[in-house]
Amino acid sequence: MIKSFSKTIMLVIGMWATLAVPVVAQEKTLVMAMSATPKGFDPDIWVPGQIEAAVNLYEGLTRYGTRTGGNGKPEVDPSKIEPHLAESWTVSPDGKTYLFKLKKGVRSPFGNELTSQDIVWTYEKSAVQKRTGQFMRTAARIDKVEAISKYEVRYTLSDANRIFLGALTLHLPAIFDSVEAKKHATPEDPYATKWLALNTAGFGPYHLQTLQGGQQAVFVVNPNYAFKKPYFTRMVWREVPSPATRVALIRTGQVQYAEQIPFQQLTALRADNSVKVESVPGFGGATVRMNPRYPPFDKVKVRQAVAYATDYAAIGEAVFLGQGTRSRSMLNSPIAGAVSAYKYETDYNKAKQLLSEAGYPNGVDVTLEYSTNWWWEEPLVLQMQASMAKAGIRVTPKRIPSTEMLARRTINVWTVPFLTHLTSSFVPDPSYNMFLTAHCRGSSNVNANCDAAMDKLIDASVVERDQKRWLALLEQAQNLQADSATFVETFLPGTHEVFAACMKGYVWKPHNRLVWKDLTCAS
Amino acid sequence: MGETGARIAKFLLVRVAVSVPVILGIVFLTFMLIRVGGQDPVAMLAGPMADEAMLTALRAQLQLDQPLLLQFANYLFRLVQGDLGVSWQGGIPVWGEILHLFPATLELVLLSVGLAALIGVPIGLRAATHPNGWFDQLSRFGSLAGFSMPTYWMGLMAILVFFYILRWAPPPMGRLSMEVVAPTVVTGSLLLDCILAGDWQALGSALAHLALPVACFTLLAAAPMIKQSRAILIEIMNSDYVRYARANGFSKATIRKMALRNAATPLLTFLGMELTSLLAAAALVEYIFSLSGLGQWGLNAILLGDFAVVQGYVLTLALFSVFIFMVIDLIVMLLEPRR
Amino acid sequence: MSAEAATPSHWLAYPLGLARRSPTFVVGLGIVLFFLGLALLAPVIAPFNPTQSFSYEVLQAPGGRFFFGSDGNGMDVLSRVIHGSRYAFGIAVPAGLIMVGIGLPLGLLAGYKGGWLDEALLRTLDVLRAFPTIILALAVVAATGQSLVSMVVVIGLLDSPIFARVVRAEVLTLRSSTFVKAAIAVGNPSWRVMWVHILPNAILGATAQLPMRMAWAVRISATLAFIGVGIQAPTPEWGAMIRQGAEYVITGEWWVALFPGLALMTLVLGFNLLGDGLTDLLDPKRRGVGK
Repeated sequence: MIKSFSKTIMLVIGMWATLAVPVVAQEKTLVMAMSATPKGFDPDIWVPGQIEAAVNLYEGLTRYGTRTGGNGKPEVDPSKIEPHLAESWTVSPDGKTYLFKLKKGVRSPFGNELTSQDIVWTYEKSAVQKRTGQFMRTAARIDKVEAISKYEVRYTLSDANRIFLGALTLHLPAIFDSVEAKKHATPEDPYATKWLALNTAGFGPYHLQTLQGGQQAVFVVNPNYAFKKPYFTRMVWREVPSPATRVALIRTGQVQYAEQIPFQQLTALRADNSVKVESVPGFGGATVRMNPRYPPFDKVKVRQAVAYATDYAAIGEAVFLGQGTRSRSMLNSPIAGAVSAYKYETDYNKAKQLLSEAGYPNGVDVTLEYSTNWWWEEPLVLQMQASMAKAGIRVTPKRIPSTEMLARRTINVWTVPFLTHLTSSFVPDPSYNMFLTAHCRGSSNVNANCDAAMDKLIDASVVERDQKRWLALLEQAQNLQADSATFVETFLPGTHEVFAACMKGYVWKPHNRLVWKDLTCAS
Repeated sequence: MGETGARIAKFLLVRVAVSVPVILGIVFLTFMLIRVGGQDPVAMLAGPMADEAMLTALRAQLQLDQPLLLQFANYLFRLVQGDLGVSWQGGIPVWGEILHLFPATLELVLLSVGLAALIGVPIGLRAATHPNGWFDQLSRFGSLAGFSMPTYWMGLMAILVFFYILRWAPPPMGRLSMEVVAPTVVTGSLLLDCILAGDWQALGSALAHLALPVACFTLLAAAPMIKQSRAILIEIMNSDYVRYARANGFSKATIRKMALRNAATPLLTFLGMELTSLLAAAALVEYIFSLSGLGQWGLNAILLGDFAVVQGYVLTLALFSVFIFMVIDLIVMLLEPRR
Repeated sequence: MSAEAATPSHWLAYPLGLARRSPTFVVGLGIVLFFLGLALLAPVIAPFNPTQSFSYEVLQAPGGRFFFGSDGNGMDVLSRVIHGSRYAFGIAVPAGLIMVGIGLPLGLLAGYKGGWLDEALLRTLDVLRAFPTIILALAVVAATGQSLVSMVVVIGLLDSPIFARVVRAEVLTLRSSTFVKAAIAVGNPSWRVMWVHILPNAILGATAQLPMRMAWAVRISATLAFIGVGIQAPTPEWGAMIRQGAEYVITGEWWVALFPGLALMTLVLGFNLLGDGLTDLLDPKRRGVGK
């Protein structure tokens, strides 16, 4: 009797175990409808799709902390920087030397452990490539990166600055598994850039499995990932170029995520029970920029007239469907130190008055050039055309190819007099943002915004260590920018991600791309 | 047999010789056209953090600052060695991608044109035997739908009705269902590879995914076929020698055979032309249904200024067109020995 | 067979007779004339300015103020469709004129004179045949700037060789016809033969092609606009409207793409019917020209 009873128990346990094990090891796949397959994975070389993939493949020494937001959901706290791949660090009193202790036992999918050699190798590679990685290094004022011991790295900065720790949260310069990468180095290509362009070797949560150009890319979870294992173990990135088709796919449940959905369709999607739309204001602002090197924008009164002749309410309704947040300055919350510096409101009489004071009593003809980089460009331009006309500013919209726009708005080229642009960046640091956007040497300065006083303020704020003085500098800079009126600040378009209804766990990150490891779908 | 062989050889030689300047002309035209506009891919390549110095350096590195004719000469030089350059988005070699993607486009176009011919030609011929009768009028009105509807419009409507509303068609995101494993690549054509591997499940999935795009495309291609075959047959029926044959009392069946035989040549020629012109239109269908064919890639490249890809794409289409014309003309020549 | 003997007694007899002989012609003509009327009267009959943006009434369903609804920029779809016919004709007519202006003399000369001119024309046709037309149009328009004028010129130029070939075919047929041979035998100089005997008949034969080519011009400009080249916003061109509207179909705002789509289809249909009808009417059987 007892024998058969224990036998039965064993049988039941045995059955349960054989059934349970496959359940536990079952693969969870997330299918994404994306506009194009990624054309490359080396974060130093930008190609379409690269950033969206790289933020999930490569991680940094630090990360941002989270807090509970106003709506009860977790959100990023830009003032808190926590250890990630580095488990701790010390900083010298002058703020110029940081000593990082790396977390032990962090392994890549190839099985190699993270050591200080990987960090040093990364910076050497970026220095050779002289692209985005190198830019980040310069922006964070990193002078030297040295391996002190197997798990210790020392950073020497040329100036103590506030950007540095935030820059280390980024996926670039990417921390590569240099042991694996070096296997693919050649004498002409000592840093394996060719291999790294189409393959991945990092310490992040995911890893490229296959890439079929034009069709799909498949990413699998890094089995040696040092942190909480992601829910989705397999990500299928499918190329679906037509936005209408992407909408059809997510609404019918064929995919669980669809990228770049036109804003005006979000209203219908929000009403659809099979779809979940997560909206975050973010801090990127849709702006119209004026290049002071081209008349009539060389006169500050003309620029201010443009700011007064903008119908902000109409833009908010027609372009952003009442769902955008009004931009109050070149910096917006959640960036620290943002103030309401942009005080312009619609006032056609004032605009006309300023115009005639500037020498244009009969109005002026201008061409507003835009491209297709962002969905709001064309509707915004058309609204500008309509409202400017009421103040005598006759706007001709002109759409140009995106490559032409990219080329002409580059630093020191600056041949676009009047254009649309999104103010944004990867790092929610105010000095960094102002540097990128409004400093004469900033790479997102697309309209020749070169004012010596402004540059001084920005440079000072980057190295200012006293909190009160720093906030005062920020406020000064924002007010100066608003007075110069080279930017017309409209709204924050926000970030809107479209998922299947079951999706949970989405947290917006400052690099503004979807992070896969946070997502769960309890269906 | 030897004499026919000699004729064929001579024909081919002359044709190839004549085609070379034609292809050259097309390559030259494309090369110049895409460089003349405002497209400047260097900025895209240099990345968002670039400055003017980087742009200038990249331009020099890619030889884009040299005079256009010199650039063209360099391109030709590499072309004859089989090097079509690389796509600026990720450094992917153009030639490899063309080989990889072209079979998908061919599949779509050949299936559609084949179906369109099978449906359209008989309809047109029948309409021609009773001109202005009810069948004729009906077929004309019906075929005009294929003439008037823009391709992309038809595609989107088809997705809306047959996928979104009725759920009959599979999701338009690729050539195979996600669960189905693709067969090993032998020819590059998914359908052929499935048949070769005996993988019937994959074949079924591939056919299902091709159903809507082929249907749209067939509708588009059938319209001119109906119209043209009707016009050709009518003209033959009214020609002198058919009238003479009728006057001489030949049976209707004999006359019909005669007419059809004479219709074969212009019909074949027309078919060839349709095939080549539809090859370019396939790009839009591929875009809407995410079929990842050559057209989708080429279209994207044109809009982004990816010069090498555009040149490769146009060259492929042009070579294919020339090839088709050559084949058709060869068949015509063999069918009409008295020429 | 004199025209006088067939003079109708009732003023409606002629058009009715025409209708009986070719209903397609009449229907096609009717459609084309309808849209032409829309184009000419657009500023008068359109309820609103086609580029006026009603910022607070974006994507309104048809009914009420906006008979066909409003689009993504708050502009009235009905007014834009009506004004769109201006652009359709504004593209089709000049493109057609360019095509005839270049293609007709080319085809005449090539067909009549033959020789190197004929060879050159045939070779150019070969190049164009092998060149994917849409791609060519795309590249040229992208290269020469995003304007209406460049698009019209490109379309006209692309069509010319095709038109020239049709004319050439007509000329070749006519050249070997009895009455032309007779005219030459009698001693007419070649210029006179071309001008008096061949030209009018060639034009008649080629005329039927004209509406087809114009239909193609409208369609290809719409396709180009869909891809995003050729027309600047907020021009009320049907292709550009369909481009914007195509996205909304799946989320239920069907009116933005449907109405311009219907207009485009109907006008292209009308042109095709007109061409078909002309072919019917000008059929050699009824021309009575020496055959």
